[in-house]
Amino acid sequence: MGISVTERTTAKSLRVDQHRLRRFLVSRAYDLLLLLIIALLLLPIIFLIIGSFKTRQEFTVGSAFWPQSWHFENYSVMWQRVNFSKYFLNSIIICSATTLVVTILASMSGYALARFRFPGAGAFSLGILGTQLIPGTLFLIPLYMTFLWIKNTLHIPLIGTNFGATVLYVGFFLPISLWIQRSFFATIPVDLEEQAMVDGATRFQAFWYIVMPLAGPGVISTAIFVFLTAWDELLFAWVLNVQTIPVGIRQFTGVAGSEQRYELLSAASVVIILPVALMFFLLQKRFIAGLTAGAVK
Amino acid sequence: MAASPHSKPSLWRRMKQHSLAYKFIAPTVVAMFLIHFIPMVQGLYLSLLDVRLTTLTLYLKAPFVGFKYYREVILALLFGSDSSRISGMLNATGNTIEYTFWTNVATLTLGMILALLLNRKFRWRGIARTLVLLPWVVPTFVTGTIFNFIWLQQGGLANRILVDWLGIIDQPITWLIGPNSLYALVIATVWRGLPFATIMMLASMQVIPLDLYEAAELDGANGLQRFRYITLPLLKPILATLVLFGVINGLYGGYNIAVQMFGGGTAFAGEYADLLVPAITRQTWERHLYGFGAASSVLLMILLLVFVGIWYRVFRSSLRTEGGS
Repeated sequence: MGISVTERTTAKSLRVDQHRLRRFLVSRAYDLLLLLIIALLLLPIIFLIIGSFKTRQEFTVGSAFWPQSWHFENYSVMWQRVNFSKYFLNSIIICSATTLVVTILASMSGYALARFRFPGAGAFSLGILGTQLIPGTLFLIPLYMTFLWIKNTLHIPLIGTNFGATVLYVGFFLPISLWIQRSFFATIPVDLEEQAMVDGATRFQAFWYIVMPLAGPGVISTAIFVFLTAWDELLFAWVLNVQTIPVGIRQFTGVAGSEQRYELLSAASVVIILPVALMFFLLQKRFIAGLTAGAVK
Repeated sequence: MAASPHSKPSLWRRMKQHSLAYKFIAPTVVAMFLIHFIPMVQGLYLSLLDVRLTTLTLYLKAPFVGFKYYREVILALLFGSDSSRISGMLNATGNTIEYTFWTNVATLTLGMILALLLNRKFRWRGIARTLVLLPWVVPTFVTGTIFNFIWLQQGGLANRILVDWLGIIDQPITWLIGPNSLYALVIATVWRGLPFATIMMLASMQVIPLDLYEAAELDGANGLQRFRYITLPLLKPILATLVLFGVINGLYGGYNIAVQMFGGGTAFAGEYADLLVPAITRQTWERHLYGFGAASSVLLMILLLVFVGIWYRVFRSSLRTEGGS
């Protein structure tokens, strides 16, 4: 009797063990698959970084993954040849200013849209979505002509200046940022502000001191989104003759295309990714929280 | 939240009640009109004018040609055209639709697999999530540069992996010229867009209550069934959003990547991979056919609206549940 009980339990535990083993193996297989996909996703970036230390010949002829010797001077050569400081500084100024202004304005509008059922809110929302459906090529020339007209009649320098680009980008990214912000504000409970207002705060104070700090991750994800998008904008900067990084790189590719200085382009690309990557790593925890809260609501 | 009384006050009173809301949205309204809608209306009118390099200074006073450009395109659609400008545009339209289809299918499928893999309990989950997001930090024009190197026939990473390392094929593939060039563009786009889609789907998966899965498991549902009947329906709202973004990005996008990937800075990718926005931009700014460019843009917008209409019909039900907030 006693023996059979033991036998039964061993058989059972054996089955459980088998089950566990299977689960363990399946989940390791999943790990492996994930690792493979991540490797494939990262390979282009790693390839770029390594390439920035190679010589031009190694790019086209050599088939080795690593450079024969590490050419750190590619970076300084690139910096001078492309006149990179000029473009880099312009881009930093334009993107920072745009991000700051857009984030503040989008928070206010997003809050209003999330909280108040004011007459016209529906039309306003529809208008925001409508802005996303217009192809850039349709309003590029009108914008250029309008900016030219403003420059010629009001003497506000909007063409070829960082100021003009900032004005353009603020208008450009405000609607979509607001949309991201709105979903975030909707997740913040309304009681807190009401409590503050019972305690004598004005609606604006309640917004500024109570809601905004709570909206931190949402604000940060919007800010990163705006910075990244502005950092990446080529077409309008090119047409408005603003000397941002994408425009500079494009000119460099065009001029040096025949020479094919791949190593210099790689070095430039690494430098272009660095600021945004740095910002991303510093803020990524809150960023992911903000992004995902917006996605879920 | 302003409580709405039972007896509806007049519109004016309700508007006064919300004066702060109007102040808060005022900057956005101004931006929407100045940077989006007024230029768009000008653009619509421009598409009816014969604006070229010689008449650009006249701008809106340029000779009126009505629907000339539209007629050209529609006639070409029906009967074909011997004008290289028009046939190039039609060719780009086909490419763009193909590009939009493949980028969306690939991004959503791979994003779903990746999100499912990340939505498990394992030790390096946090770092895996961060690493997956990395390509998203790479600007699109840099993505173009990177993939220009990757597709190089001699010494490019793709051919190195396929020929030298894995030995799947013996001859290096020509990626950037000929029929492969569209897929070269699709792969570059998917690489850049995958992280965003993945993180969005992962976020939606993480709020699905676990007891739903436990109950299903007790009822004997296997993994595939649990995915089919629990995960997928609950992901529909985020899928709707991602498809909408994907369609907009597909039809309006590709410019930055194409400019850098195909080199030369002209964004001409050859007949197999030329997309609409690069094609329109070329007609507008290199050939100075501003009116024709505007008309093509309008037609592109109509194409997008058709797609959005289809999208709306497909996802209408899932939008309603999302609108509850």
